[in-house]
Order: sequence, then structure tokens, then C-alpha cells
Amino acid sequence: MKTLSKYSLAACLGFAVLAACKDLDVPNLNSPDLGDFQNNPTRSQVLSVATGLLLGTRTGIAPQNGYVSLLGIVGRESYNFDPADPRFVTEMLLGPLDGGSPAFGGNLWANPYRNIRSANLELAALEKVPLVNDAEKESMRGFTQTIQALDYLKIISTRDSNGAPIPTSIDPLAPPAPVASRDSVYAHIVRLLDSAAKHLDSATTLTGGAFAFPFALSPGFDGFTSTASFRKANRALMARVQAYKGSFGCAACWDSALTALSGSFIAPSGDLNLGVYYSYATLSGDEVNALFDPNARAILTHPSIVADAQLQAGGAKDDRVVRKVATLSAPKTAQGLSSQYQFVIYGSNIAPIPIIRNEELILLRAEANIGKGGVADLAAAVADLDTIRVRSGKLPLYSGAVTQAALLDELLYNRRYSLMFEGGHRWIDARRYGRLGTLPQDATTTATAKRFTKFPFPAFECDPRSPAPSGCGTQVGF
Amino acid sequence: MLQRISFISLALCLGVGIGGAAGQQRPITGKVTSGTTGEPIAGAAITVVGTPITALTNERGEFTLSAPEAALTLSIRAVSYKRREVAVPAGQTTVSASLDQDVFNLEAVVVTGVATGVEKRNASNAVATVASTDLGYAPTASLEQQLQGKVAGADIQQNSGAPGGGLQVRLRGVTSINATAEPLYVVDGVIVSDVAIASNQNAVTAASGGSNPSLDQDALVNRIADLNPNDIENIEVLRGASASAIYGQKAANGVLVITTKRGKAGAPKFDVLQRFGFFEMSNEFGSRTFADATEAIAAYAPAPKDSETAKLVNSICNLPGGACPTYNLEEQLASEKPLSYETALSISGGTDNTQYFASATAKDDGGIIANTGFKRQAVRLNLDQRLGSRVRATLNTNYTHTVAQRGLTNNDNTGTSFYVVLSATPSFVNLGKLPGDTFALNPFVPSNPVQTAALMKNDEDVWRFIGSLNAQWDAVQAGSHYLRFIATGGLDQFSQQNSLFFPPELQFEPNDGEPGTSLLTNSDNLNFNVNASAVHTYTPSSNAFSATTSIGLQHAHRELNVARITSRNLTAGQEIVSAGTNIQITEERSEIKDLGFFAQEEFLADQQRLLLTAGIRADQSSLNADATKLYYFPKASGAYRFRNPTSWIDELKVRGAYGESGNEPLYGQKFTGLRITGKVGGVAGTVAGDTTGAKDLRPERDREFEGGIDATLWGSRANLEFTVYQKNVSDLLLPRQLAPSGGVNFEIVNGGNLRTRGVEAALGLVPLQKSDLTWLFRTTFSLNRSLITELPLSSFIAGGFGASIGEFRIEQGASPTQMVGNDTLTTADIASGQYPGHAVGDIVVRKIGDANPDFRMSFTNDITYGRLSLHFLLDWQHGSDILNLTRLLYDFGQVTPDYANPIPGKTETVGEHRLAGFQVVSKNYVESATFLKLREVTLTYDLPATFMHSLWSGARYGRLSVSGRNLLTSSPYTGLDPEVSNFGNQAVARNIDVAPFPPSRSFWFSVELGF
Repeated sequence: MKTLSKYSLAACLGFAVLAACKDLDVPNLNSPDLGDFQNNPTRSQVLSVATGLLLGTRTGIAPQNGYVSLLGIVGRESYNFDPADPRFVTEMLLGPLDGGSPAFGGNLWANPYRNIRSANLELAALEKVPLVNDAEKESMRGFTQTIQALDYLKIISTRDSNGAPIPTSIDPLAPPAPVASRDSVYAHIVRLLDSAAKHLDSATTLTGGAFAFPFALSPGFDGFTSTASFRKANRALMARVQAYKGSFGCAACWDSALTALSGSFIAPSGDLNLGVYYSYATLSGDEVNALFDPNARAILTHPSIVADAQLQAGGAKDDRVVRKVATLSAPKTAQGLSSQYQFVIYGSNIAPIPIIRNEELILLRAEANIGKGGVADLAAAVADLDTIRVRSGKLPLYSGAVTQAALLDELLYNRRYSLMFEGGHRWIDARRYGRLGTLPQDATTTATAKRFTKFPFPAFECDPRSPAPSGCGTQVGF
Repeated sequence: MLQRISFISLALCLGVGIGGAAGQQRPITGKVTSGTTGEPIAGAAITVVGTPITALTNERGEFTLSAPEAALTLSIRAVSYKRREVAVPAGQTTVSASLDQDVFNLEAVVVTGVATGVEKRNASNAVATVASTDLGYAPTASLEQQLQGKVAGADIQQNSGAPGGGLQVRLRGVTSINATAEPLYVVDGVIVSDVAIASNQNAVTAASGGSNPSLDQDALVNRIADLNPNDIENIEVLRGASASAIYGQKAANGVLVITTKRGKAGAPKFDVLQRFGFFEMSNEFGSRTFADATEAIAAYAPAPKDSETAKLVNSICNLPGGACPTYNLEEQLASEKPLSYETALSISGGTDNTQYFASATAKDDGGIIANTGFKRQAVRLNLDQRLGSRVRATLNTNYTHTVAQRGLTNNDNTGTSFYVVLSATPSFVNLGKLPGDTFALNPFVPSNPVQTAALMKNDEDVWRFIGSLNAQWDAVQAGSHYLRFIATGGLDQFSQQNSLFFPPELQFEPNDGEPGTSLLTNSDNLNFNVNASAVHTYTPSSNAFSATTSIGLQHAHRELNVARITSRNLTAGQEIVSAGTNIQITEERSEIKDLGFFAQEEFLADQQRLLLTAGIRADQSSLNADATKLYYFPKASGAYRFRNPTSWIDELKVRGAYGESGNEPLYGQKFTGLRITGKVGGVAGTVAGDTTGAKDLRPERDREFEGGIDATLWGSRANLEFTVYQKNVSDLLLPRQLAPSGGVNFEIVNGGNLRTRGVEAALGLVPLQKSDLTWLFRTTFSLNRSLITELPLSSFIAGGFGASIGEFRIEQGASPTQMVGNDTLTTADIASGQYPGHAVGDIVVRKIGDANPDFRMSFTNDITYGRLSLHFLLDWQHGSDILNLTRLLYDFGQVTPDYANPIPGKTETVGEHRLAGFQVVSKNYVESATFLKLREVTLTYDLPATFMHSLWSGARYGRLSVSGRNLLTSSPYTGLDPEVSNFGNQAVARNIDVAPFPPSRSFWFSVELGF
């Protein structure tokens, strides 16, 4: 009896000890808590999130199913013959574009929106973060809003007349923002860019001169790391946005574009590649540029790029084709399509991809002047076009008619070859000027390629909305 | 919290304190023999009914015990024999008894709780037991394969033919959509890990580069593959919540309670098993043969394009008349048949106080593809030690090393996976080895799978220790009271290393501009758990009933850290990861702490005819949003046995059970994070996470009702078990898809309801039972139907590649395993009126298949004729659809065997017709997964004892056998194997076929010796 009690006492103690030492709380071992950042942001956090915006805006640009590659396919700049995924042909060329398929367009939506939220979180944190002075805060606001504008621009470029929501809440559980029209989204982008420019100016004023950002920027922003120099990139994006708006019929926007250009880093005699870029690296945690496909395993150049090129004086193709496209020893085929050309634009897996660069700015100035259409404007446009023809294409000077229509053709030709496979420019341009019908209708073994005007909304964007806004479902093309 | 503990401790303590007494003694000796063969039965347990007096027979079947003087009854039991009660009048001192074989395992003890069990004949749940005698007919790498076709209601399928495991055990259909799909594995009282860790082959295949950003497509091995099937004494399968409720929030998928072999008192026994065999490819996908250059050029270089490809084709198809050569590319890839072996030794024995079982196994399965295969070396030591009359301690230790070499299969986006490349390579291209040990270059896809297999490495090395220590203290053993304390501590620790190497010489390696890839993943897993329980049984002296009360607690701690290094552009082609110039490192950690309490009451009365059970489990876990909140899982069950209700029914049992169990959220689901792992051009930055968890995240809850009858018929010549069940799973963990424009993709919430109803039946028959010929026939039948009865969210994708190809879509009112895809409306569809506002030719997303089988059956035959015995097992699945994307890839490559077959009256060929439906008639690639497989065949010859003795007097037995596994498969499926899952183990999205590892059959010759 006595021993029993002793044993049971021991057993009872064992139970009590076991229970007492159990603290069942386990923190998130893999990443810091978002709540901390929202409630008690620290200086190092807001600096890190600012850099993270460059990471976020780069997401989904370079992958084979990313922004450059998919827009390249619908704009007939490239093919993707990936043997493992025939949808690069069947869905991206033949259609219908599928709103439910996250890899083929859905990613072009979710990635920029995730970064838009990051930017909103950063803007909110800047309101309460201690140990960051006002000039630093203003500089980061200007930077954050500029990157946010860039993300909106990517979204509206793929969805165009479907419009896009402009979320205002950082609560992920808030009801989704209503879909704003294309024009409203562009207006919002303009507001963001202008507000950003003001914040950048304010930072410059507060410190009495150009002010270096307190956070690290990627190498793609070398030369644009102060409030004053970054403002030039901000204005460059503004010029693109205003030119787009001009092509939609906003006559006043041509002048706005020219104004923006004058504040940008445009340099007709400067390095055409001067600009800001998405950066890649092989360091751990970094991303490589998947558009670099040295053996043309998947990515090929659309043969029309070579066929449509103008000739240099000596009979050689436009130097932009010579520089950017290489001929393979044997053609590659898939589903009845064929190409013997590959891009050599990205010379390594860490080659940067342009966000916006000088060559585009010169062409934007030409576009704005063509849009204005006066005699002096057209003459200025010819001068800029010749700059690009000679410097980039090694082509003879422009000798065609100096009319709005003829120069627009010439502008679009030069944009096609200057900005080749850099971010869907050809598709966006063809749509802006109603020329999608000129895209070739490649014949595959099963059907003829369709021209798409826009990507549908991803199904997940439509599911929580009732009734579904137009832009949901599939896009069959024409 | 502490209060609750004290309450439990108090309850435990109250049970203590009842003393006992004993009376006069007399010695009884006796012998127990087999009723069929007359041979002595060793290890039979003899108990004096109504007392704790027990003895065991020795290897000659003899026992001795000292019993009270008065007349008494002895209960004699032995594993796989029927219990017998023998009356012993006062004064009698010798007893001899023969036992009949228990062919249907009715007398096996099945678990009813963490620390309790009852004989199967009494059980109020349908618990399936698979004994060691049913295992090992045809050897397998993984334990689950041994169970295929042996348990009604268990759908056990491999994910591909890759050696070394990767199987899913699904008990009673769908139980979850997003939580874990694995049952809980409990080995000797220890919850062991069945985690599956990806090899990171995705770094080469980029399979997740498309729609599915996870490593699910890496052909994962779930770690139960480490258990050595040879060491297992029996497996009890708790199929649903009504039986598994006592394991609480981890048990909704069912529980497999595994007991390993233990020693018995007696002289040392040695058992030796030696097997030799080989594997061979059991099915080929096939490939189109091209008659001549004209046909090949028409396919690959249609005029006027592509004169280069035409030139290439002409240079290959240069046999007389322009005929093309034909190579069997699959044979070039998968025709290896290396010698496979398995050597197993065990020794067991002991004294009355100490028993031991020790075993060692070495196994080497050669794969059908170069550099693939599976190896296991394992040692085990199980010790039982009696400390005085009341305390027994057991120690189980198991150390295992496994190596699985898995090749490179499943989906890819880089043209590297074996069958993805074959699907784009016409059969006139030679991929074989050239003289001088070089390999032909594949001119169609820059990748040669034969070369890849020969030069690559994909090794999964696991070192694992599973150990447990158990102590039982019979605190009270007196008259009507019996109280036992049980404490078990268990440790399951393993290190897994995945080492993959793709040398720069591979044809595909320069594709990314960084020749050579080396991948290293080191994973460390620790599972630690402690159980403590007290079991009190009260049996009044009248023997009218017995009441067993058990209470206890269970703590589990799990940690898993996975660190991955991806190294590319290898200097001098070195395998070591530091040789790369592009090195990526990631690490993922998880830690889980659970605490559960349970209490249970079992009431056995009316001469053991009536069993009533009620219990409750309370669980808390760090995985729930509130780690301190207790979630309760009750259960109750009852069974009653009728003896001889009619002349031909020996015994009929009616049973019913209700229980609840749970399925935990996954680690990390409750957090909203900031991601810190990114860099941009070398500069580190932080981005917002894209998922969030609900504020009240909690376990899924499975409520199951089960009812059934068990009957023994015709003098134990037949046994029938029939069960119906319904489970309602509520609080499903659902990814509430948020509009991506908010910046967060989804929130994990609880909600919805899933209902699964099903029927299970098992029938055993002994059609023949003569002295020299017996035939035991067993069959199982099961079917289930699931329905999403409530879904608070809009429908969502649960797997697959999008509606254009086919996906699993969770929708209210639909089966959770339904596949939907784009389909084109026909005239009949429009006429049906179901599609208002649509016209013929419109594309809609609708159901195109269902992965759930209509039913499953199995047939096992054991025929013994003299010393020869034949065992064979047929496993039949009827219905179930597969999305055959391998065929789609082959169609795109124009190399499907039937691609060029004409369709009468049409210009397009069979393949062109299927392809024309791509994205618009996605059901073109949905096929039936019906199959009938000859899983196991074994022919055994028992060497005569006299012959064995003539060789060596110490020999106990000798057996020779030839066996085979998966020898025959009959299926309308055109793919490699209807058992397939590109995404590994999945709650819902199985049956997606993308370039899997090809299936194999195996042949074995075995020698078993005992001495």
C-alpha cells in the first residue's frame, strides 16, 4: 500500500512536469511577421521593403511565361517551342486566352498587384517609422509611388480596355476594389508619377540638393540613385504614359509627353542604352534572366522580324536585326511552325532587361511630334527617327513622305526593331494604333494563329465579383 | 491548463490503492498441438480463467503453471489459432489440447484506444488486421505495397514506377482537400514521420515553372518507405474517425498501427531469408513507326518550310526505298535487369524474464533504368524485460539506411525528363550508346534521355533511427481489479540527403547557358512523443462484465529543417556544390508541438457478447491559430454477438460506431509573413507574403458513423464482414482565393462540408479443407462516393494544369475528385436545354471525368497441397479517370503509336483528331484507369522436416519459393501505368499522368531456413 502510493505519487509528478513544460507556441521560423511591420516598423525594415519593390516589380518579367516572353508571342516577336508545354503555341497563338490559367497571363496580373500592395504597405509604414528623417521619407515616397505606377502600367498594358481595379486598402480581406476603366487607370498612373515627382523634389529641397536614397538600389538603377536623377526616370515613364494616352486620342497629351521628356534623361547623342533596368544575378536568392536561351531550346525569333527588316546601304539587314538576331544551323519546328532564328539580345543569364531607356525616349519624342502633326513637329520627328535609323539601324536617312501617316509607319517600324523583345512593345504599339490586324496569322498543324487585343482577367479576380465584370472568361482573338 | 492536468493525475491516482491476495497452488503441465498437423505449438498462452496466472508453451508445445487447487478453466490461445477453453477438474495435473487454425484472424487483438485492445471478434469497429503471415509473399521496397489489395476500403497506389516508394494510402475515400492526405503511422506506440521531402529535381526540370509553383512534381518518396516490411508482426488499419478518434486531430485520414516482431521465451531461433530476383519493364508506351522519309517529312518538315529538317530526315531514313530505321527508344532507356537480392537474418528467443528479437536486412533492388534502384540496410533490436512480477519494460530500436535512386521523370519545362524527351523524339532517331561509350545527339530535342540516365545521379540517402521505450506497471492485479500504468517515449530521427548531379557533358546541360548542375538537399527530421496512460479493468467475481477505463495524455513534438543548395555552371564538371558559379541556398524550417488528453471507457458484458465503448480526446496544437485552445473529439460504439442464430451461422455480430477526428492545419498556414529571401541584382530586399491565415484557424473535423455486421458461417468455413459508413468532414481547410488585385492570393480558412459514403465488405471462404489440401479464398470489395455538400467559397482549383488541359475543381454539389476542362458544346448539348444563351461550338468548362473509382475488389487465394502452397492476389480497380498528358505530349511530338492511324471517312488521323480538341475538347485526354493486376504470385515448397534434420539436426524448417509481383496488368489505359500521380500524394488531385517512371514487374527466387 505504501509503495503503491509512492509510485503513484511519482507517476502523478511525472504527468504534472510533462504538462507544465509544454509551451505550445511556435513562431514563424521562416520569415518576419507582417503585423510587426505594419504596427511597429523599423528603419531597417522600411529600407529593406523599399529595395524589395525592385524585386517585386522584376517578378514575372524574365520567365519564359513572363511579361516579355508572352507579350513577345502575342506580338509575333517570338515563338516558344518548349517541348514540355505546347500551350506556348496552342494558347498564346491559337487561343483562347484562358482566364483560369495562372501561368499564361494570370501571373502578369498577380505579380504586379502583389508589389502594388507592398508599395502601399511601405507608404503606410513610412507614416509611422521612427529614426527616418523627413527627407529620407520623402525620397522613399517618391521612389515607392514611381515603382507602383510602373506596376499599374504593366497591368493595364496587358488588360487594356478591360480596365483594372485600383485597390485602396492594404487589408487583404477587404472586398476587392471595383474595376476602373482603362482611362481611369492611366489617370491614376499619371497622378502617381506626378505625386512621386513632388515627393522627390521635396526631398531634394529639404536637403538643399540632390539626395542619395537611403536604401540600396539594384545595379539596374546605376546613375539613378539620387532623388534628382531618379526623377528623370520618373519623367521618362511619364513620357511613355502620355504618349500612350496621346495614341488613345488625348491631343493635349502629346505636349505633356514632350514636357515629361524634357525632364527625363533623353540624350539624342548619348548612349542609346542609358536607362533603368531589371537586374539579374546568379547570387543565392537572386533570379536569372530566363530569356537567355543560348541553344534556342524554346525561345525563337519570329521569322517575320528578319523578313520585314529594311536594308542597310550595303544590302545587309537593318543592324538591329544583325545585332539582336542570330541564324541557327537548322530550323526548329513545333506544331507546324518553324523558325531558324534566335535572339541574342540577352547575352547571358544575368543580362539586365530594360525598364525604359534612351532609345525609347527619342522615339517617344518622335511619336509626340508626329501626334502633334505640325510641319515643324514632323520635321523634328524626322530628325529623331533619323537619329535612331542611323545610330541603331545603320540605315540610310529617312527618305519617305513627311506626312503623319507615313511617319507613323516609320515610327512603328523603328519601335519594333529598337525595342524588340524588351517588353511587348510591338503588341502594345500595334494595339494602340489599331494595327493588330497586320500581325501575321501563322498556320500551325491544327489552326491559324489568332490576334489578341488583351488578356482576360484571371478567374480568381472574377470569382469573388458578382456579376462578373466584362473581361472575365476567355479571349478568343480574331 | 495545470488544473486540467491535476484533475487527470488525480483520476490516475484514485485508481491506485487496491491490494490483492492469492490461495493454495497445484502444478499443471501440458502440451498444446495443432489440430490440423499435430505439430506442437510454441508460444501459446495458457491462462487460468479469472486469475492473472499465465504460462507460455516452449518450442515443444509444453507448459507448466501453478494453479489453485479448485476446479478451473484454462484458456489457451496462440497467434493464428482459435482460442480454446479447457475445463480442468480439481486434482488433474496434466492437460493436452489441440487448437484449430484461425484462418480469418478473428481472435487477433485489435486496438480500441491508445493503450487498449479487444479481440477482433468483439470489436465494435471494422478494424482490418494484416498479419506478418500475409506480408512478404513477394518482396517490395515499401510497406504500403505489401498492403495493396489486402484491406477493404484502402486505396493504395504508387505514384510512379520509380524504385523505392512514393505511394499513397487513402482510407475510405476523400477526407480532405488541402490538409495532409496521409494516414497516421504508429509503430510500437510511436507516431512516426511519413513526410515526403522533395529532391529539388525541379531545379533541372523547372516543372513548377508553369502553373504549379511547388516541388510536388519531384517524384517524392513518403518516408514510411524506410520501414522494413520483414520486421512487422502485424498492421491494424483504423480506416475512419469512428475507430481513430482516440488519436484526435491527427487521425482523420485513418491510422495504421504497426507492431513489430518480438521475441518469445525459449531457445534461440534463427531465421534466414535469401532472395534473388530482377525487375523488368512491364509496360511500354510505344511509339509511332515511320514507314519512310516521305511520312517523316510530312510530319516534321511540311513543304515548303524547313529544308534543313527534311535534309536531316533524308539522312536518317536512308534504308532502301527511303525507309526509316526504327529504334525502340524505351528499350534503349529502360531495359536494365540487374540482379536484385534481399538477405534477412533474425534471431529471437529469451528467458521468462528477458526476450529478444534482433534482425538485420540488406536489400538491393536494381532499377530498369541505368543508375536507378533501391537499397536498404536495416538492423533492429527489440527487447522485453520483466522486472519482478509487475513491471515489464520493452525497448524497440531500429536503425535503417535507405538509398533510392530515382532517375529523372515526371513533368518538366526544360526537355530533360526521360519521357518528356521521348514524347518529342521520333522512333527513327537512335538514342543508344555509340561505340567508344559516347551517346548519339538527339537532333529533335537537345536532350538524350539514355545519356541522361547513364551519366546523371539522383540519390536519396536516408539514415533513420526509430526507437521507443515502454514501461508497463501492473500496479494492481487482484481479483476483480486490475490497474496498469503505461508510459511510452519514442524518438524518430532521420537525416535525408538528396544529392543530384547533372554533368556538363549532358546534351541538355548547356541549354541554360550554365553547364553542369549539382543539387544538394539536407533535411533533418525529429519526431519525439511521449504517452502516458493508465488502464483500469474491473471484473466482478461473478464475471458478469468487465469495465476498462483508460486515461492518458500524449505529447508530440515534430521538427523538420530542409536546406537546399542549387549549384550551376560547375567548374571542371565537379559534382561538389561549391564548384558552381551560380549557387542558390534556401532553407525552410518547421516545428510543431501538440498535446492531447484522452479518456475512454469500455464495457464488455454478457459473456463477452456485448461491447460498449465511449471515449473522448482533447487536443491542442501549435498549428492552430490559438495554440492553447482545446478541440474535443468524442467517440462511442457498441457491438453485440449472437451465437448460432441459425443453423448455418456460427456467430453474428452487429456493430455500430460514431467518432470524430481531425486534420491539422499545415505549418505556416496561420502566419502572414514578409519574405526575406529575395535579392535583386545582388541587393537584398523584402517583399510582402502572398498568403494569410484566418484568425480562428483550426483542425478539420471528420464525423463518421459506421455500422456493420460480421458473421462466421458454416462451422468457421466462411467469414463475412460488411460495413457501411458515412463521414461528414466539416471545417475543411480551404484556400479562400482572394482577388489577386488585393496583393494577397489566398487566405486559409475553415469551412465547407464534404460527405463521403461507402461500403466495405470482406469475405473469407475455405472451400476445401482436407488433411493434404486446403484452399483459402479471400475477397474484398469497397466503394465510396464523395460530395462537396457545402462550400462557402466560389469553386476553386485543387490541382492540375488549368481548364484548357484539365484540372480538379472543387464545387458545391460536385464530387471533390471531379476533373473539369474546356469542352465544346455539341448540337445535343444545346438541345438538352442545359446551356441557355450558348450556341453549338461554344467552349464551356465542364466535368470531364472523376478520379474516384467506381469500386475496388481484390481476390486472394491460398492453396496448400501437401508441402506445396500457392498464393496469388488479384487487385481490381473499376472506373476512375486519368488525365493522360503523356499522351498529349506524344501527340504533340506526333509519335503516339496510333497517331497516324486513319479515321474512316475523315481526312484527319486519330492523333490529329485528338489534338484538334486540345484546349477545346479537353476530355480527349481523359481515359479510364480501370485495371486488374496480378499483384502477388508465390509458389512455396516446404522442405520435409526429415530432410532438414538429415542436413542438420538443428534445422527447424526450410522453404523454397518462387514469386513475382505485378506480373500481369490488364487495363484499357494507353499510358504506362494506371497507378499514377504526377503531383505525388494528393488529397484530391491524383491521376494526372505526365511522363512518369515506367512500371516494372519483379521475379524472385527465395530460400528460407529456420534453425
